[in-house]
Amino acid sequence: MAVITIEGLTKRFGEVVAVDDLSFEVDQGTVVGFLGPNGAGKTTTLRTLLGLVTPTTGTARIDGRPYRALADPIRHVGALLEASSFHPGRSARNHLRVVATAAGLPLDRADQVLDQVGLAGAARRRVGGFSLGMRQRLGLATALLGDPRVLVLDEPANGLDPQGVHWLRGFLRQLADQGRTVLVSSHVLAEVAQTVDQVVIIAGGRLVTQSTLASLTARTDQQVRVRTPQAEALRSLLAAQGIQADPDGLDQLIAAGTTTEAVGTAAAAAGIVLYEMIAERSNLEDVFLQLTSQQGAHS
Amino acid sequence: MIRLVRAELTKLASTRLVYGTAAVMAAFAVLTVAANISDRQGAPPLSADSLPMLVGGPVTLLSGAALLLGILGMAGEFRHHTITQTFLVTPDRGRVVAAKLVAYPLAGIGLALTILTFTAAVAAGRLAAKGITPSLLDARLARIVGVALLGAGLCGLLGVGVGALVRNQVAALVGVLVWVAVVEGLLMTLLNDPGLGRWLPSAAAAALTNPGGGQLSRLAGTLLLAGYALALALAGTRLVVRRDIT
Repeated sequence: MAVITIEGLTKRFGEVVAVDDLSFEVDQGTVVGFLGPNGAGKTTTLRTLLGLVTPTTGTARIDGRPYRALADPIRHVGALLEASSFHPGRSARNHLRVVATAAGLPLDRADQVLDQVGLAGAARRRVGGFSLGMRQRLGLATALLGDPRVLVLDEPANGLDPQGVHWLRGFLRQLADQGRTVLVSSHVLAEVAQTVDQVVIIAGGRLVTQSTLASLTARTDQQVRVRTPQAEALRSLLAAQGIQADPDGLDQLIAAGTTTEAVGTAAAAAGIVLYEMIAERSNLEDVFLQLTSQQGAHS
Repeated sequence: MIRLVRAELTKLASTRLVYGTAAVMAAFAVLTVAANISDRQGAPPLSADSLPMLVGGPVTLLSGAALLLGILGMAGEFRHHTITQTFLVTPDRGRVVAAKLVAYPLAGIGLALTILTFTAAVAAGRLAAKGITPSLLDARLARIVGVALLGAGLCGLLGVGVGALVRNQVAALVGVLVWVAVVEGLLMTLLNDPGLGRWLPSAAAAALTNPGGGQLSRLAGTLLLAGYALALALAGTRLVVRRDIT
């Protein structure tokens, strides 16, 4: 069942078309990566979904209703938007208590969610002194305050160091395992590739593709990197079998569209010595770049 | 609605602005009391009835402080982008402005009450040191306190209205200063008619402390100021409701 439904969404800011007739759905209990280069329209789409931006045409709904019509919005949908939207003079705990008060949530939820994102030690510190990573965690804590079933996270990995990104992946996985529906945007596929079930890719405000991560992975090409003292002999042997292999340095070959089994068997039959063999996939990132740049050229 | 008002008061209480404002007001109160109690020649003679005069010192400034808190309370949310979170919790933007229209008059009144109590304590102490026992049950004192609270409440309301309409915090503050210091004076001259001039906001505020004599009555001044505040807030709300929060 679709929890999030974007239908024919278009948003113009003056002359600029930020989102152009975009439609996609997010099913219950799935984690969907919302991907696209900077300026693709991700943030505008998410802000429209959250009732902050009024669409020019089209609709963005959560459980069949616009965000503004939800009875208890932050218990229903948790949102993380930009990392800078805190009052610098307010402490982390007080920021959360303000939100909890307005939403009618118990005040001790503030300490619970701070604990959940690992900020309990900084609860009383003013947000003005927080690093970008700490702000992102506080933003996530805010999103979780109402214990919502749906989470909308805009670039949560922005500004996180490698440890932070690693932590975020585990955190998203945990949210998914709890059966929550998560729509998470990123301009770097690798940040979310290990976590998401599906991807929605947009560029220039238009949908490029919506697919499972598996079918996106299937678009990548497999190749085999071989290190051998008889590189030229192996190259012509593989070429005879219709496998293209290109030299990479003096003693290495990269054989495209084949498997380690095929290369190993062929080499053994011809008595060619192999030192090392690695199966490689062309990067998911390359597929992503290719998809989004094609679309960019169209618009 | 009550929880939204409480959230607004929590916002105010969880930053340093209101405490800094109160500290400045308190310092000003101590100074005015000291200045009015000086022993130099020509200083008004002190008596048991001096308390209202001494307490009345910070009244105008308190209204200014309430105006400031109201403006920063509304426009500051745009300045710090906290408006995003506020509207996520309460997507009905009109209710957010309405909650501020309740919270900031309360905050202004609370601030005024605190400072006036403090001023009265300081003044009573200074009088007592001179062997004068001031009377607290004084109709003039009650009137000054009442007017001060009314003025602070209305200015809190007005501040929220200005902040909703202008949204740019600096522009709102500068705009209010320019309005009070320049525009009203010009309008007063151009109109050249105290009958029309008394309908200006400053004149309405002046009618609170000093009614009659060409000015409006205190009630008319109160209603007029509240009217200005609500008109600004309504116009501001219309803009805020339509505006994209990006």
